[in-house]
Amino acid sequence: MAKSKKQRTTPVAPVQAADPLATLRPQLITGGKTPADVTRDICAPLDHSPGALWWSAFSVSMTALIVGTIAVTYQIATGIGTWGLNRTVGWAFDITNFVFWVGIGHAGTLISAVLFLFRQKWRTSVNRSAEAMTLIAVVCAGLFPVIHMGRPWLAFWMFPYPNTRGSLWVNFKSPLLWDVFAISTYLLISAVFWYVGLIPDLATIRDKSKPGWRRRITGFFSLGWNGSARTWHRYETVYMLLAGLATPLVFSVHTIVSMDFATAMIPGWHTTIFPPYFVAGAIFSGLAMVLTLMLIARKVMHLEDYITVLHIEAMCKLMLSMGCIVGLAYGTEFFIAAYSGNPYEQFVFLNRALGPFSWAYWTMVSCNVLIPQLLWLRSLRRNFAFVFLISIVVNIGMWFERFVIIVTSLHRDFLPSSWASYVPTIVEVATLVGSFGLFFSCFLLFCRFMPVIAMAEVKGVLKSPQRDLKHDSARGDAA
Amino acid sequence: MNAMNQNSDDHRSLGTEPRGLRRLSNGYFVSTEEAPALSRREFLEAAGFSLSLAAMSGCGRAPVESALPFPIQPVGAIPGRLQYYASTCAGCPAACGLLIGTRDGRPLKMEGLPEHPLSQGGLCAVGQALPIGLYDSQRLIGLLRAGKKAEWAQVDEEILQGLRQIKDQEQQVVIVTSTITSPTIQASIDSFLDQFQNAKHVVLDAVSSSAILDAHEQTHAVRVLPHYRFDRAEVVVSFGADFLGTWISPVEFTADWSARRVPREQSPEMSYHVQLESRMSLTGSNADRRIAIHPSNQGPLVARLADKLAAAAGRQLDEPLAPRIAESDENLVSELAERLWNARGKSLVLCDSQEVGVQTQINFINDLLGNYEHTLDIERPSLQRQGNDREVQQLVEDIRAKQVGALIVAEVDLLYDLAGHESLSAEVGEIPLTISFSHRVDEFAAIAKFVCPDHHTLESWSDAEPISGLISLIQPTIRPLSNTRAIVESLAVWSGQPQAAYEVVKDHWEKKIFPRRRSTGSSQFLDFWEQALRDGFVEVSSEAPTIGRFETSVLEPVAQERMSENFSLVLYNKVSMLDSRHSHNPWLQELPDPVTKVTWDNYVSISPRDAAELGIQDGDVVKVSAGKNGSRIELPALIQPGQHDGVLAVALAYGCKGTDRFAKIGPQWIEARPSVSENGLVGVNAAVFVSFHGGTQRYTRAGFSLAKTSRHRELAATQEYNSLELPPEVAPHGAERRKIVQHTTLAAFTKDAEAGAVEEHFSTETQLWPEDHPKPDHTWGMVIDLNKCTGCSACVIACQSENNIPVVGYDEVRRQREMHWIRIDRYYDGEDEDLNVAHQPMMCQHCGNAPCETVCPVLATVHSSEGLNEQVYNRCVGTRYCANNCPYKVRRFNWFKYPYDDTLQNLVLNPEVTVRSRGVMEKCSMCFQRIEAGKIEARSQGLPIVDGAIQTACQQSCPASAIVFGDMNDPQSEIHLALENPRRYRVLEELNVRPAVSYLRVVRNRDEESQHG
Repeated sequence: MAKSKKQRTTPVAPVQAADPLATLRPQLITGGKTPADVTRDICAPLDHSPGALWWSAFSVSMTALIVGTIAVTYQIATGIGTWGLNRTVGWAFDITNFVFWVGIGHAGTLISAVLFLFRQKWRTSVNRSAEAMTLIAVVCAGLFPVIHMGRPWLAFWMFPYPNTRGSLWVNFKSPLLWDVFAISTYLLISAVFWYVGLIPDLATIRDKSKPGWRRRITGFFSLGWNGSARTWHRYETVYMLLAGLATPLVFSVHTIVSMDFATAMIPGWHTTIFPPYFVAGAIFSGLAMVLTLMLIARKVMHLEDYITVLHIEAMCKLMLSMGCIVGLAYGTEFFIAAYSGNPYEQFVFLNRALGPFSWAYWTMVSCNVLIPQLLWLRSLRRNFAFVFLISIVVNIGMWFERFVIIVTSLHRDFLPSSWASYVPTIVEVATLVGSFGLFFSCFLLFCRFMPVIAMAEVKGVLKSPQRDLKHDSARGDAA
Repeated sequence: MNAMNQNSDDHRSLGTEPRGLRRLSNGYFVSTEEAPALSRREFLEAAGFSLSLAAMSGCGRAPVESALPFPIQPVGAIPGRLQYYASTCAGCPAACGLLIGTRDGRPLKMEGLPEHPLSQGGLCAVGQALPIGLYDSQRLIGLLRAGKKAEWAQVDEEILQGLRQIKDQEQQVVIVTSTITSPTIQASIDSFLDQFQNAKHVVLDAVSSSAILDAHEQTHAVRVLPHYRFDRAEVVVSFGADFLGTWISPVEFTADWSARRVPREQSPEMSYHVQLESRMSLTGSNADRRIAIHPSNQGPLVARLADKLAAAAGRQLDEPLAPRIAESDENLVSELAERLWNARGKSLVLCDSQEVGVQTQINFINDLLGNYEHTLDIERPSLQRQGNDREVQQLVEDIRAKQVGALIVAEVDLLYDLAGHESLSAEVGEIPLTISFSHRVDEFAAIAKFVCPDHHTLESWSDAEPISGLISLIQPTIRPLSNTRAIVESLAVWSGQPQAAYEVVKDHWEKKIFPRRRSTGSSQFLDFWEQALRDGFVEVSSEAPTIGRFETSVLEPVAQERMSENFSLVLYNKVSMLDSRHSHNPWLQELPDPVTKVTWDNYVSISPRDAAELGIQDGDVVKVSAGKNGSRIELPALIQPGQHDGVLAVALAYGCKGTDRFAKIGPQWIEARPSVSENGLVGVNAAVFVSFHGGTQRYTRAGFSLAKTSRHRELAATQEYNSLELPPEVAPHGAERRKIVQHTTLAAFTKDAEAGAVEEHFSTETQLWPEDHPKPDHTWGMVIDLNKCTGCSACVIACQSENNIPVVGYDEVRRQREMHWIRIDRYYDGEDEDLNVAHQPMMCQHCGNAPCETVCPVLATVHSSEGLNEQVYNRCVGTRYCANNCPYKVRRFNWFKYPYDDTLQNLVLNPEVTVRSRGVMEKCSMCFQRIEAGKIEARSQGLPIVDGAIQTACQQSCPASAIVFGDMNDPQSEIHLALENPRRYRVLEELNVRPAVSYLRVVRNRDEESQHG
C-alpha cells in the first residue's frame, strides 16, 4: 500500500512458454476473451446490484436459515430431546448432516490442490467457488458437532487447553477429538489456500476501484501486490507449497471422520474399509455439490463463457469414477460381512437392505450407484439440465448414505431388547433445512462480493483470439 | 404449589393483623388508611412484616422452625447418616418385613427386612415405591367436609352427632375395608362397631380370593386361607395363580420358590413347576412347563385331575367330577397326576379361580396328596386375604335397599372397585353418613360427606399379622407431614375414647399380643415391646382353628361348558399396580410390566392368532363389550404371545380418579404427548366388568365381543422387539437366534453341568495388550442367577429410589427414552406350545475393556482402580458416543431437564446421589455411594470389608436373592463361589469387553436333553 500508484499493474499471469500440445487441446474459455474481458466479466457483479434471480435465491436461502436458527435456538433452550433420538439411536440427523457437509467440503481442496498438482487446467474456472464452497460447507459441518452436544455451552472442553480442573486433559484416544483437530486443521488450511489464491484478484479489484471503502479493504487484503515477476514468483511458490500441504488433508479429514465409526464396535461401523470408502464418498458428494453450484452460478452470474461444457464434462467424469468406487465399497461391505462369518455383521447388512430402513438403503444405492451410470453417455454428460439433475440426485444419495450408515447400524445392534426405531422430529428437519439455508446464503453472498472465478488463473489459460479455431471446442476432452 | 397456598392459611394464627393494615388472601398486608397517613417508619415496618410472612408461607409444609438443630440429639441419629428402622410394608396385605432407611429424619429407602420369616429380605416394587407416595404433594393435607376444607373438632362433632342419630334410629353402620392384617386396627374397628346394635365390618378386596376361603369353609369347616409353603413343594401345579407376581404374597412365594430353583453340580435337583393359564402371567413365564388353557377348560381339568388322584388314592367318588375332556388334555392330566402322586406331601396345587366349586376340588386334590400340614398350612393360616364377597354382595343390596345409615370406608375405593354396579354411587350418595379415610379424593371420597385422611403408612403406628402368630409392627419414621389422623385415632374419637395411635397399638399389644408370647424371653411387657420394635416382628402362639375332617360331600361334578364363540375376559392386576390406591404413584406407573414391558397404560391383551384374524395391530384401539347391552370400554390392544385364543385380558386398577394429574408429568415441548389416554386418566377402569356370581366376585367371564375402532394409541413399551429370534427376513443363515440368554434342561444339566453353553469360537484368555491396570484392593463384580430371577422388577424401583432416577412420562418412554438404570429384558423364544420366556436383568456391565471409555472425547467416563466404570456427570458434554458404542445399550441420556419443581416430592431424593442435569449421560454405578459408605465404615473400624456388608440396591431388594455382589478379589466371597458355578456365563463375551457382571444359565426342569439354546 505504501507503493506508488504507478507501480501498480493489473496482474496477468506471465505468458507461458508456447506449448505445442496446447494447440491440440480444446479451448476452455469460449467467446474469444481477452484478459481485459475476463476482468470486466468477472468483476461485473461487484459493481452492479444483483438481479431478480439472485434476490429470489437469496431470500429463499435466508428464510431457510431463519427457520434453522429458530429450530437450533429452541433445541438448545429445551434440550436434545426435541430431536427424535433415543437410548439406542444416539446419533441420526445431527451426525448425518455433519458428515454430509464435511464431505461436500472435500471437492474444494481436491479441485484446488490435487488437480493443481496434476496440472489440470480446467480447474481454473471452478476452483475459486469450489474453495469457497469448501469453507462454507466446513462451517456448516462444524456446527453440528457443537449443537449435537447435550451441553453445547461446554464445547470448548473438547480443546486441550491448560485449565484449573486439575489439569484435566482431553481423551486423545477418542475419534471425536481427532475430528476436532482434523476439521479445524482443514478449515484453517482451506481458508489460507482460498485467501492466497484470492490475492491477485483482490489486487485487480483494488486497481479497478474508485477510492473508497472497497479500495481500502481490497488494498489491505491484497497485501501490496504489485504484479512484479518477483511477486508472481513468490505467489506461485506459496501456492504450490500450500497445494502440497492441502493434498494430504483431502484424504486425512474424511479418513478421520470415518474413524468415528470404524473404531467403534457397533456392527456396520466397525469396518476397515471405511477410510477409503468415506474419502471416495466425500469427493463424490463434493463434486456433485460443485456441479450444482456451478450450474446455478453459471446462469445467475452469466458465466456461460467461463464455465463451459468442457468443465462440466470433466467433472462428470470424475464424479462417475467416484460413484463407481462408492458402489464398489457398497458391494465389498456385503462381501466382507458374508465372508467374515461374523453373525452380527451379517445381520446388520441384511437389515440394511431388507430391514425397516431398506427404503433409505435403496434410495442410497439408486442415487449413488445406479443413476450416475447414465454419465457414461457423452450426450448426457453434456446436457446441463441433466447434469444438474444428476448432481441433485447424488447429493440426496450421499446424504442418505450417511443416514443409512449411522441409523441402520445403531437401531438394531447386539441385544434385541434394545432395538428401537427412529423418526425425526420437525426440529431436526428444520435444522437440516437451516444448514442448507446457511450454505446457500453464504454462497450467494460470496458470489455477490467476491470474484467467483479466479481471474488471474483463468487469464493464464486463455488463448489468443487468432487461435480461436471453431473445431477446437468440439474436439476431444478437456484434459 | 397447592400445598403452599393451602398452607398459608395455617400461618394465620402466627400474627394478629397490624393496626391499620388489611390482610389480603395472599398473605400480604395493605394499608386501609390513606397513603399520607402512613409514615415512612410504619411503611417499612409493615413491608418487613408482610415480606417475612410471605417468606414463611412460601416454605410450604416444612415450617421454618424445623430447620433448627435438635436441642437433644435423638439416640443414634447422626446427621447425614442412614438410620434403619424395622417396620412392616403396608403396600398390600402381604405385610412383608420392611427396613426403612431414614436420613436426617426423612424416610428415603425401603428395604426388605432380612430376618423376616416371610419376605426374607425381599421387597417388591410396590413396597420400594412407598416413599414417593409419602412425599406426594397432591395427597390430602387436611380433612374435607362435603368437599370443602374443615377442622377436626368441628367434623368430629358432626360425625359423633350423626352416629348418635343413627344409633337412635337403629340404622346399620358399616365399615368397608380391604383386608386388614393389623390386629390393632381390627380391634379398633370391632370396638367401634360394638357401640351399635346393627353394625358390620365388610372386607372388600379389589382382587379377592374369597372362593378359596369359602371352599375351606365347606371342606374343612373353617373359613381360612392356607399359608402356602413353596419352600416345601417339589412339584407345583398352578391353575392361573400368579403367585410370583401378584397373588396373595408374591415376595414370600418368590423367595420360597426360588430357593428350590438352584440345581447344583453335586445334587442336580430342583422343583418342577407347571402353570396352566389363559393369559401370560409372570409366574407362567417362569414355569418349567406352561400350558395355555381356555378359562372354560380350567374347571374340567381340575376336576379330571381330582378324579385321577382320587382313583390313585383309592378315594374314588360315586360319580366322577369331570366331564369328558379332550384326548390331549387327558394325557396332560395323567402326566400331572403321576408327577403329583409321586411327590405326595411335597407338592402343591393352586388355583386362582373364584368358583367355590373349583376351589373345593383343589382342596380335595391337596387333601388326596396329603399336602395339608406340609405345603398348605391351615393351622397357622394366612390372613393376607380376608375378603368376603358374599358380604360385599349383601352390602350392595343393603345400600340399594337404603338400609345403611353410615358407611365408613378405609383402604379401599368402594365405588371404583364396584364400578360394575350401575348407579351405586347415586345410592351411596343418599346414605346419611359417609366417611372416607382415603389419602386422596377417590371415587368414594368424592361423594363422601367427610374425608378424614389417614396418615401415610410411614407416618403412623400400626401392626400386621400376615400369618396367624407372626405379628409385626409398623412404626412411624417421620412426623405426619400434613393434617391427617390415623384410622385408629379417628375411630377412638368416634367411640368417645380419644387416644393416640401409639397408645392404642401399645395397649393392644400389652393386652392381647403379650399374653400370646412364647415362653422364652422376658416377662416384662416393655422388654417384649422394645424387642419387637427392634426386630420389627414377633412370633407368638396362634390359636389353631378347629379344622373339620375333609368333607367330600361338598364336591360337585363340573358341567361341560359350552365353548362360546365370544371372547372370555380375564381381569388381573399388574405387578406394578396391585390396587387402585397405587395409581397415584409415578414410579409404579412408569414401571414396565414384567411381561409386556408396557408402562403408563392398561390395554387389551389378545392372542396373536385372534389379532391376525381380526386384523388388529399393537396399539389399535379396540372396544370390549360385555354382551349386547352390557358395559363397554375402549382400550389399545396388545398382541400377547402365549395367550390362549379366544381370551382377552385387561388389567384392573387403571383409569383411577385423579390420575389426570399425570397429564403433563414428562418434559413439555412442541411434540410432547400427554401421559393420559383419551379419557384424561391413566388407563381405563376395567372393574366395570367385575360381577358377582355364585357368591364371589368374578374376574373371568365369558361372552365378550371385540371390535376394532379406527383409532390408534401407541403403547409406551420399553422393548420394541421381543424375541431372541431375529426377524426371518434379515436373519443370517445359521445365526437366526441371539444366544444372549443361555438355557438348558435339568436332564442335560445332570449329564453335564456346563450344558447349554454357547460353543466358543473365540478366546478371551489371549490378550493383545498386557493387563496393565492392576486392581489390588477390590474388583467389584456381580453375578445374577437367571434361574432364580423371575423378572418381578422390584430391583428397577429399588434402583430408581436409590439413584434418584426421574420419571419421564408416557411420551418419553414411547420414544424409548426411559431412564431406568436397570431394566429386565424379556424375550419370547419359540412359538405356541414351545414358547419360552426369558427374563434378563440388564444394567451397566462395568466392562474391563469398556467401549464407552475410549470414545469419550472429554474423559467423562473412566475406569476406576476397583473395576468400576464411572461416569463423571460434571465433565460430560453429552456427545452420546459412549451410548452408541455400548453393546448392552445400558447408558441413559438426560434428553431434557426433568422437572424438580415439586419441592415436597424432592424430599424423596437420596442426598448421596447427584441429581443429573440435562445433556449428560448416566448409567448404573453399581451403587457407588453404597460401596464408598461400606469402605468408610470398614476403615473407621479398622477392619477389612466383610463380604456381604456392601449390598447394591437391586441386590438388597431382590425377593429371589438372585443377585450376588461382591469383591471378586476376595477368594472367600460369595461372588467368588458364584463365579466358579458351571452355569456362569457372560453376555456377549465374544466381544472381549470383559464385563464384570456374569449370569448363571437358566435350567428348566424338563426331561428332554436338547433344547435350542
